[in-house]
Parts: sequence; structure tokens; C-alpha cells
Amino acid sequence: MHQNGVKALDGVSLKIGSAETVAIVGENGAGKTTLVKHVTGLLKPTTGDVTVDGQNTRKTSTAQLSRKVGVAFQNPDHQLFSESVEEEMSFALRNFGFAPELVEQRVRWGLELFGLEEYRKSSPLVLSGGEKKRLTLACILAWDPEVVILDEPTVGQDSIQKERLAGTIRMLTSSGKTVVVVSHDIEFLWPIQPRVVVMKAGRVLGDGPAAILMQDKGLLDSARVAQPQLVEFFERLGERPHAPFADPLDARRWVEETRR
Amino acid sequence: MYHRLDPRVKLLISVLMFATTLLVRSLYELAGVLAFMVVVAAVAMVLRRVARTMMFTATFSVFIFVLNFIFTRNLETSLLYAARFVAIVVSTSLFFITTSPDELEQVMKTFRLPRDVVFAFVTAVRFIPVMFLDTIQIMDAQKSRGLELEKGNVLKRVRNMIPVLIPLVVNSVVRSGELAEAMESRAYGAVPKPTSLVEYRARTADRVVAVSAVVLFALAAYSFYFVFPARIL
Repeated sequence: MHQNGVKALDGVSLKIGSAETVAIVGENGAGKTTLVKHVTGLLKPTTGDVTVDGQNTRKTSTAQLSRKVGVAFQNPDHQLFSESVEEEMSFALRNFGFAPELVEQRVRWGLELFGLEEYRKSSPLVLSGGEKKRLTLACILAWDPEVVILDEPTVGQDSIQKERLAGTIRMLTSSGKTVVVVSHDIEFLWPIQPRVVVMKAGRVLGDGPAAILMQDKGLLDSARVAQPQLVEFFERLGERPHAPFADPLDARRWVEETRR
Repeated sequence: MYHRLDPRVKLLISVLMFATTLLVRSLYELAGVLAFMVVVAAVAMVLRRVARTMMFTATFSVFIFVLNFIFTRNLETSLLYAARFVAIVVSTSLFFITTSPDELEQVMKTFRLPRDVVFAFVTAVRFIPVMFLDTIQIMDAQKSRGLELEKGNVLKRVRNMIPVLIPLVVNSVVRSGELAEAMESRAYGAVPKPTSLVEYRARTADRVVAVSAVVLFALAAYSFYFVFPARIL
């Protein structure tokens, strides 16, 4: 419930399994970030319950929950404060009481994964917007949380970094992590083929596989979410006789094969 | 109704209430002044916000009371100083609660203050809620990284605020730089005397309220010094 009496989330009921990739989409003010803040325990529901791995978020502090749930927030400038990139990365690890050798190992791993090794001794404040964003992701992944929440992870990222990020999400999912991505970037989400939760005005309008939900033009329009270009392309081709693809995923496979 | 008054009149009312709190010399008089402020807050329909301000200042006024009592050993004087602090804060906050930053800017301009000073002050006021929001978001981000802000002794809690304060200061500095660039790119300072979108002209209602406020103040001042004999200061 918002301070002015408006329900920020209304009747939301979701169950997210382990090793699942879920994308939460919707227009600005739809309640996407509010929803993920409930998962981290930063916000407590006025009615109903949020349970993470059997733990009710009402009864657990955010700091305790964060060991299981890592969130990379939208604005990286809201978390960077250390003197160097490596110190920034080790901040959470030290908070969780990791041994020094493990801290060093995890920091090196994170820096390599996101191509930030050369900035190891630099101040995080002098990095570019995209680099800061990658650093915040590295900081979260460093402590290996079971659930990874990425709030608008593609903001300020170039196309190569976006592809890398998509690869990282796939890698996380294949290693058994639950990944929740809040994003407006449909073109980024489409190749990942997540389960999509469409939100509007604090309510869940649709919930299902991207391949199916992204073809529902009416649903996407009502939530002010753009349709992926490939789905639109497939649908336009479908209007012609002898359509070359059976479904949008078929069209995607064709695009990927052509690229190779 | 109160919100619609000319901001200069609202400033005058607040200044007069402020001055009255300095003139009072007994708890009864101060109680009367405080009651008047509550009436003004009720008319302005900001009673709840003023009550919150009073609750907030109460903590400091307890401190003032304790210090005064230690040094003066006089209960009434200590109570008067503590209550006066609350009254001073309420009188000033009544103006800021009922006046928008735009109106504040116009008021400052009528006093012919330098434009840069007016702009800096009004921008600072306008950015208070933004900084508050920033603080919440930074705290959220750091709590999500295992930082326990509410745990430990005072020293540890203060140290735990470093990861919150540094991004807050850095963000503010960056934002002020960006704001300066954005203002310059929109011709800020291009002419020495820019025109104003809004120009305040006092209406009859404003004049009546202003004169009434001055008369009330004069009556209050007269009664404090010449009518009521009981004095503690």
C-alpha cells in the first residue's frame, strides 16, 4: 500500500521456481520494482505473504535475505562508494563473513566475467555508466546468491555488453540460479526466452512463456509493452501465403543460423 | 484558503509569530501564542504536518529543557525555553509547509536578493525530497548487500552509514554539476535582469490579512509588557 492510499501491488500471486528465468515487464509505475523489493524484504506486504526459500520476508531482515537474494538496482550510483573496484566487490562478501582467500577468488572471478580486470585498483566512481552497471552486477554475483534480481540491467549497455549479459543470465539459469529480470528492453529479453510476467497498475495481467505471451498483441498493448521485432516480423510474414516459419521461435532459430 | 494568500503575507505572518515567541515572558503567554499557531495551522489545513513537526522538535526541546534545568535550576524558565524552541520551529515551518519553492523564489526576488543566491537557495529547498528519496534508495541498495544499518553500538552504526553517505554526497555533487550545465544550456545568466513568469500583486484579502496580523502582533506585544504583570524573565 502506497502512502497516499493507492495500492502499489494488488492481488499479485506468483510462484517462482528454482532455476527459472522470469522477466517482469510493464510500463513505468506498473509496480515492477515494488514487486522485486518485496522479494528482497525491503518492502513488507500490508496483506498477504512473500516467502523466499521457505522464509517469510516479514520475519527476516533484508540483510539476512540478501545472502539468498542478490539485487542489482537500476541506478549503480546508488551503491558505489568504495575507494577501489576490488573493495567495492568485496564489500558484501565481507559483510557475509567470507574468508579472505575466498573473497580474493570471488573478486577475481567477477572482474573477469564482466571484463573489469583493468579497473581493479581504480575508483568505481570514475567508471563509465555501462561499466558501473556491470560492476554492480559483478558485486551481486560475487557472493553467489540463489536468486538474482536484475532491475533494468541493460540501461547504458552497448549491444555487445547486452549479448554478454544475456549469456550470463543463461549461464546462471543453467547453474541452477533463479533469475528475475525487470526490464523495458523486450529485444534483450526475447532471445533469453524467459517466463514473462506482464504488469499494469500493480496487477499481473499475464504470466507465461515469452514465445506465447509476446504474440498476444492485445495484452502487450494494454500493458504498453512493445512486441519484439522478430514476433512482429513473423506475424507479418504469416499474413502472406506460404509463410516460411511455423512460429516466432522458428524465425528466431532461422535468424541465429543465418548469423552463423 | 491560507495557501492562496500572497506568499509575502504568509512570510509576514510567520515572521510576526516568530517575533512574538521571542517577546513572551511567561508560559501562559507562550501557550497562547502556540494556540494561535495551531489555529493558523488548522485554517491552512496543515495541522497533521505541523503536529509531526512538533513531535520531531519535541526531542530537541527535551534536550534544551534538561540543559537549562541543569544550569538555571529553574523549572519554569527551562520549560519556557524548551516550549519556545517548539514555537519558533512551528512558526517558520508554517511558512515553508504552505509555500511552494516557486512562491519562495518570488518572495526572495521581491527583496531584491541576488539572482544566483535566490536560485541556489530555492534549488536546495526543491532538492530536499529528491535527496530524501536518494537516501532511501541507497539504503535499500546497501541493505541488499548485507549491510545491517540497525545493528551494533553507536560507533558501528555511524561507521555503517559511510556506504550510504558517500553515494549520497557523490550523487548530489554530480547532480549539481549536471544541473549547472543544463541551466547554462538554457541561457541561465544570459541577461542581467530576466523577466518573470509570475508577478505577485497583493489583493484586498492579502492586505486585510496582513494588516490584521500586524494589529494582532501589536496587541500581543502591548499585552505582554503592559497588561499582564506575571513575568519570569
